[in-house]
Amino acid sequence: MGRVRKLFSGNRYTGHLLVAPAVIFLAVWFLWPVLSMAWLSVSARQVDGVMIDGFTLENYARLFSTDLYFRILIRTVRVALMTSLFAALFAYPLAIAIARGGPSLARLVTFTILAPLLVNVVVRSYGWQTILNKTGALAWALKLVGVSNPPVLLYTEWAVLIACVHVYMPFMAMPLAAAIGRIDRTVEEAARVAGATGLAVFLKVIFPLSLPGLAVGASLVFSLSAAAYVTPQILGGNFAPLLGTLVEQQILTLNDWPFGAAISTLLLAMVLAANLLFLKLANRHFARWTAGAK
Amino acid sequence: MNETAGPLLKITAGIILLIVIAPLVVPILMSISDTPYIVFPPQGFTLQWYGAVLANPEARGSFLFSLELAGIVTALSLALGIPCAVGLTRYTVPGQNIVLGVILSPLIVPLIVTGVALLQLFAMLGSRATMMQLVIGHTVICLPYVIRSVSASFLLVNRSLEDAASVLGAPPHVVAARVIWPQVRPGILAGGIFSFIVSFDDYPISMWLADGNHFPVPLYLYTVIERSFDPSIAAIASLMIFFALLLALVIEKVFGISLARLAS
Repeated sequence: MGRVRKLFSGNRYTGHLLVAPAVIFLAVWFLWPVLSMAWLSVSARQVDGVMIDGFTLENYARLFSTDLYFRILIRTVRVALMTSLFAALFAYPLAIAIARGGPSLARLVTFTILAPLLVNVVVRSYGWQTILNKTGALAWALKLVGVSNPPVLLYTEWAVLIACVHVYMPFMAMPLAAAIGRIDRTVEEAARVAGATGLAVFLKVIFPLSLPGLAVGASLVFSLSAAAYVTPQILGGNFAPLLGTLVEQQILTLNDWPFGAAISTLLLAMVLAANLLFLKLANRHFARWTAGAK
Repeated sequence: MNETAGPLLKITAGIILLIVIAPLVVPILMSISDTPYIVFPPQGFTLQWYGAVLANPEARGSFLFSLELAGIVTALSLALGIPCAVGLTRYTVPGQNIVLGVILSPLIVPLIVTGVALLQLFAMLGSRATMMQLVIGHTVICLPYVIRSVSASFLLVNRSLEDAASVLGAPPHVVAARVIWPQVRPGILAGGIFSFIVSFDDYPISMWLADGNHFPVPLYLYTVIERSFDPSIAAIASLMIFFALLLALVIEKVFGISLARLAS
């Protein structure tokens, strides 16, 4: 019997050759532009429409010292944090239903959460416009129950928050469901046998043991909502812009590339920092809690 | 014996799910209103707004353009992604962690930042080839998903089946077609479908790179929302919602891929 011919053979460079096209593609069309943008933010500034080259931190100083820009930065952080918080509040019941509710309930909940992700984000945001505007569904429903002067939420930060929670909640629910699904059921049973109420089981068992899922979900939701553009545009208009809108204005309207690059770089830094922080916090609490339980 | 899923949980989950689908149901209700403006509850019944949308050449043009763009992007992502996944899972690549870092980093950087950075680069290079720019921009964000999905399926392949087939005399192409392909097909399919959806739905990359002659659906929808007030915009939103629902059902029932797998 002859030698068995192997399908995946080749010399020691074969792996490199297979990986190279994708890696080169991303290095040229992703790493290069992102790094050169970060470089632009500290290597030039624009004064009265004239580009002045040379190392500078002026672009960042301007972002923090100009009241209007600083307010937008604070609003972005606030909306992203509140979105993560509310997304978690709504996602927990759904995640528990997916992880503990039996196969048919789990399938129904999963499908209902994920199918809207296939609907374009512009359409989902528009859907909230039809609910929140003056002649919208919410105003109609409130009138039915006797509220004569319903608040107009459209074009406020609340509208942006509501829609962001709706658009990004699935990214919280799925990691949470996965984390809760990994919790040993006998731990919950033990707590219940020992007399814990449903709430106590949630607070003392499910919540702490789901922290890794919460961290993943929170980093995703924070990152996505901090960088959101379409949803704040459609629901906040010019009244509640976030950093994304500011970048767009500075670059497409005012043509101030270095300042736009600085805002983008800050947004990127914020997202990276939030990711590290959430994961670190959750891991520490999780480690402490599970160590205490042993 | 499911005390956790008690009635209280079911009711809470039910209410939240109603809120989740509300913004998808309300536009559908409004799209059949017989009034020249948008109102809730809808008055009368008409399908004229759907007719208006379907007859609109701009809407059709954008739809066809987005299909074309997503098709090219998916093909390119698979062409680059499948060999890369094979290399990562079947060969030792020195510096594997750096390679993985490069490949997955587009998933961490906000899309709007990736988009503006690309626009700056293209401006610097003096490029005016809009179609190529859009294809590159979308492929940057789709490729990581394809590589992740295809790599996962290659890692799950049962190696002893391959060995058994080769030992029994199957030549490499037969092993590839009859043993490996059936096992990795779902991963490649899921990666391709997801890539298509990500490209078709993308706003934050296209907003920087598109122009009037290359105008994807999401940008078109946004301009329609900005400038029109009659129920035809609810009709176009409804069409998108029906399209997504159909897509979800096709993915689950025809391809047999659960949405949860696609999203993970």
